[in-house]
Amino acid sequence: MKPITVFILGILIILSVSACTEVRAWERGYLAQPEMAWKPDPLESALNDHIFFSKEASSGGNSAAGGGCGCN
Amino acid sequence: MIIKSLPKILLATLAACCVSSLSALEEGDMLPEFSIPSIYAGKPAISSESLKGKTVLVDFWASWCAPCLTSLPLYNELYHKYKDQDFEVVAITVDNPIEDGLDFLLDTPLDFLIPVDPLGEISELFEVYGMPTSYLIDASGTVQLVHMGFRSGDIEIIEEAVKKALAGS
Repeated sequence: MKPITVFILGILIILSVSACTEVRAWERGYLAQPEMAWKPDPLESALNDHIFFSKEASSGGNSAAGGGCGCN
Repeated sequence: MIIKSLPKILLATLAACCVSSLSALEEGDMLPEFSIPSIYAGKPAISSESLKGKTVLVDFWASWCAPCLTSLPLYNELYHKYKDQDFEVVAITVDNPIEDGLDFLLDTPLDFLIPVDPLGEISELFEVYGMPTSYLIDASGTVQLVHMGFRSGDIEIIEEAVKKALAGS
């Protein structure tokens, strides 16, 4: 296969995954918006957790580290 | 045929990806040309041309970035300490909306230049990779230090670099 064909195929592969865009450093403010939080209302989520625990006799494993600037 | 050339295709893909990350502003590079409006209405635009001959700390910050807010008052002290030696601080806010940045400045007044880049055009030009990122530019326009993030003790590193740049100018 000619190098130019390889190069064009490489570019096509990159273009085909263009939906997977990176959030740039200066755009991370959008991730810090309240509506982007896993649990926008802490009180409501605490109540939901309590109900879940009462019904299922298990709790935890339903949270993750939040967004923000991701710098430090 | 394609399977046989798969390693080459993957290498080409990787190379193309690397080219985009190589364009970031690094130590030894020249300050790019730019002109951006000030956050304060009525104040003149800040351009790379107006900073020529000065030692400049260009910092990218946002009100949603906690380490940025820690660094800015310390940069204000640094600015007052060295402003008589042609030292300038340009803290570019990437806040969108701009009012978020202004709210912070109402509580924490800063005396240096604060331009706005809500659409990220200048951040793109510098290829800012994390927030905050600061660039120390010497009097000849050369980038002397690229510093990402801000932890306790970082101000000493930056001040040392500022002193070195001022001594060389």
